Amino acid sequence: MSFFGRKAASSVAEERLKLILVQDRSLLPPAQFERLKEDIINILSNYFEINKSEINLTIERENRKTILEAIVPVLSVKRDK
Amino acid sequence: MGRTIVVTAGKGGVGKTTVTANIGASLAKMGKSVVVVDMDIGLRNLDVVMGLENRVVYNIMDISEEKCKINQALVRDKHLTSLFLLPASQVHTKDDIDVDKIVEIISTIESSVDYVVLDSPAGIEKGFESAAAPAKEALIVVTPDVSSVRDADRVIGLLESKGVSAISLIVNRYDLNLVEKKKMLDYNSIVEILGVDLIGIIPEDKAIIDSTNRGEILVSNASGSPAAKAFENVAKRIEGENVPLSDFTQARGMFWFLRRER
Ligand SMILES: Nc1ncnc2c1ncn2[C@@H]1O[C@H](COP(=O)(O)OP(=O)(O)OP(=O)(O)O)[C@@H](O)[C@H]1O
Ligand SMILES: [Mg+2]
Repeated sequence: MSFFGRKAASSVAEERLKLILVQDRSLLPPAQFERLKEDIINILSNYFEINKSEINLTIERENRKTILEAIVPVLSVKRDK
Repeated sequence: MGRTIVVTAGKGGVGKTTVTANIGASLAKMGKSVVVVDMDIGLRNLDVVMGLENRVVYNIMDISEEKCKINQALVRDKHLTSLFLLPASQVHTKDDIDVDKIVEIISTIESSVDYVVLDSPAGIEKGFESAAAPAKEALIVVTPDVSSVRDADRVIGLLESKGVSAISLIVNRYDLNLVEKKKMLDYNSIVEILGVDLIGIIPEDKAIIDSTNRGEILVSNASGSPAAKAFENVAKRIEGENVPLSDFTQARGMFWFLRRER
């Protein structure tokens, strides 16, 4: 039971675990993540005019599945000359 | 053709060896032929927990190095005639393990028994890998604390990447008294966070320490104790029986009694 607004130990444990696992489950170390982002930008740039600052790349684990999500606003399409 | 199940955790001391011995013995009590294998090479323990340390002659590394046949290394349990121990070596280290040979040995055993249950060492290195390599199913043991659940999450990820997809969770050393006072993590939170199926909750039970000290397996020695009942329920669920998780909802009277004892 909590008293004087002190949180129950079990709730604190649960919150800590969730935070720890968000970090543990992010599969790529930050430096590699940045490189992945660069690589994706470079490849997409061959085909599209894109706004680099608006790219949103996330790797998430949900229900034991890993999901890579990239949101890339396209300004225009580059056509072969 | 039998089933091969690895009991693993990541974290040390959470009850892997205790679970291996008791699930193996519970399945044997149900009439199944079972070989429990100590894969903690260099730190063998399963023989002691089962009280068979005086009967060990050969071990799994002797088979791997072709110093003996599989049958020569198997030690029959003191009470259960269909339960056998395949001991670990005490003189080798995990680096000496030839994983391919172990997989071959286990698949040979698997073809002639109902169950092979592998007790894995703590950690996620070679010892863990060689215990997991022969298995298609895994029992993950967690205790209701942050570091154990964290390590379990890592191990589940590793097992999935190795193609072990039938993964179930055992929450061990559960103390309903502490959970109700909100001092201990609730099993529902653990299951939700880890995202794998729960196959059993084993209560904190002093009878385990008593049995282990005597060199008796709990389910053989004190089959009426709360943890023994929980282990037997896990074995039934492994066998496909639909045993509800009554342990902590309906059988509460038992725990109220235990609580007053303290
Ligand atoms: N449910 C329980 N109630 C009380 N004591 C328990 C329970 N489960 C395990 N123990 C005790 O906890 C200790 C560690 O258990 P065990 O040796 O099975 O863990 P382990 O995970 O195999 O350890 P290691 O990582 O060293 O191999 C033992 O003394 C055991 O008797
Ligand atoms: Mg052990």
